[in-house]
Amino acid sequence: MTGTVRLGYAISQWKPNFDDFTRREQHVRALKVIAACGFTGVELRAGSGRWDPLGRPASIAANYGSAATFTDLLRQIGIEAVCSWYFDPGEPIGEELSHGRSVLEGGDHRAIIESVLPFAEFLAAAGGSRLVVRALPSAWQAGELTADAIATAAKGWNQVGAATSRLGVTVSLHVDCLSAAADAKTLEALLEATDPGLVGLTLDTAELTLADLDPVAVYRRHRDRVDHVHLKDTRYVDDLEERRRPHAEAAMLQAGGERGVERWFYECGTPGGLVDFPSLLGELNADAYSGWLVFESEQTPNPARSVMLNGWFAQQMRLPS
Amino acid sequence: MSNLRWSYMDHWRADTPRGPVTQYASRRLMDDFVKQISVVGFEGLDMFDFQIYGLTQMFGSIEKYQEYLQDHGIAKIVNLFRGIMYDPRVSDPHVRETHDEIVESTRRMLGMWENLQIENLIVMPASLYADTAPVTGDTIKAAAECWNRVGEMSAGFGVRTTGHHEFFCAIRTQEDILRFYELTDPRYVSFFCDTAQHCIAGVDPVELYLELHDRVSGFHFKDTREVDTTGAYENRPDAELMAPQTARWFYEMGTDGGLVDFPRLMRELKGHEFSGWITVEHDKANIGGDYAESTALSMWYAKHVLAEIYS
Repeated sequence: MTGTVRLGYAISQWKPNFDDFTRREQHVRALKVIAACGFTGVELRAGSGRWDPLGRPASIAANYGSAATFTDLLRQIGIEAVCSWYFDPGEPIGEELSHGRSVLEGGDHRAIIESVLPFAEFLAAAGGSRLVVRALPSAWQAGELTADAIATAAKGWNQVGAATSRLGVTVSLHVDCLSAAADAKTLEALLEATDPGLVGLTLDTAELTLADLDPVAVYRRHRDRVDHVHLKDTRYVDDLEERRRPHAEAAMLQAGGERGVERWFYECGTPGGLVDFPSLLGELNADAYSGWLVFESEQTPNPARSVMLNGWFAQQMRLPS
Repeated sequence: MSNLRWSYMDHWRADTPRGPVTQYASRRLMDDFVKQISVVGFEGLDMFDFQIYGLTQMFGSIEKYQEYLQDHGIAKIVNLFRGIMYDPRVSDPHVRETHDEIVESTRRMLGMWENLQIENLIVMPASLYADTAPVTGDTIKAAAECWNRVGEMSAGFGVRTTGHHEFFCAIRTQEDILRFYELTDPRYVSFFCDTAQHCIAGVDPVELYLELHDRVSGFHFKDTREVDTTGAYENRPDAELMAPQTARWFYEMGTDGGLVDFPRLMRELKGHEFSGWITVEHDKANIGGDYAESTALSMWYAKHVLAEIYS
């Protein structure tokens, strides 16, 4: 890949709860903050229901009149594109009467494809190019994955990738700290079984670090597959392996686990941060990475503050060019 | 080349596990503060003069603090706001017997800052309306005499003394403000236009700028959603935080329902070829809001709306 790196921000950081961040003026304020700090793209997060007006293309249309009206608003504010959309097939979708689907179930693949196509269509119209998907369910739910199970998941993502590629959108596998894919061997097998022409990898610096995977090493190993990057920091490694315990979403991520961690994720460059950003950026530079770098700040107590600190970090870092 | 540069007037609060504190509480909070104002495009910093004490403890000297700012993209400390709590027994501009103290205490304060290139010493030119009333011609004349002396003294430091008229200041109406500048020496006393304060007081800040443009040495660009319709300016013991009309008078520019006509003001600045620093302020933003967000929204407005008119 050659070209220019572009900087995006994940707007879901403003929505810690299902009934937060529902009003248009809240969206506008958040987008202005993002633009003021130098970011030109925004990543959305798939969601369901009337209190998630940015969760689905149809919800955006219902709240903003049309997808085009929304993207026009973004551009007036200074945001050039909806660069990407995060989608977890395991989450319930009320609009589809779905309680959640699994890429590990071959019978769910058709429904997943049909579910994501509107997102890909929206992205194509809004200047975006990545549908970032949760690669595998949580490890505590998936259990030990057999080769057949991984092959099933890979087949599913290949089919999803084939469907979205016709719209110019690439499916990119995102590995969060709880995912069954947050394991070097599983990730290796999953990537090997997927078609590099249809399925890429989103490198999430803090999620990997928290799962005791070095994001720089993961990048070096899978550099040919990385087509999207999430940048955030953490001060912790889950060395208690709480991510593999039942209900880790609540017990570990939300409640803080046995250590009572208030906040797992931080702005890039936070004091005590464990991610080796200079090395990673050096690698991206060397490869002339040309995709989006999307900054995140989940669990921030103050989204605006986090955008500003990440904006400062982005200004200071030597971006691939 | 740009005609305007943007400076930030500090009233910052950061949320911490200990509750809201200022950035003067720790070096880490100071680092965060400076990064946050720098990233959105501020090149200057305004502050209260008394902050020199905490900054000297934190950085060794005020000069070292400015070097630290420069390392983070902030070129200089631009303006100081004089933090005097007026008291007719000690220092009060309409009490002539206290003028010596005002001049000398200000001289001592400026002496602590003399190695920096401060542009303006911003002062409230009279005490609270409620503590001064009735405001007579002699009240204004006494204040003018006070600030002429201070201004002549501050000029020796290369610093302009400039009047900033809070809505609750004794010199608050357009008539009284214009009278004050007629009585002050243009060499020593200039006018610092706070857009929201005048708006709250029922004075159009653009009209005031047009009247006094040749005396203007700076601005506080901030907005308000309220004109004082309840006589809040004479509320005792305080109008700014304690008047019944509203808990929050001030907002960042560009706020919904804002009353200040910033585009018109920018057109007038362009017409009069104003050049120099414009200071952004949104004090008390933490009342139902947040300093970080207000700061970013202000500079979004400056870059995307105002810069289209004049920059």
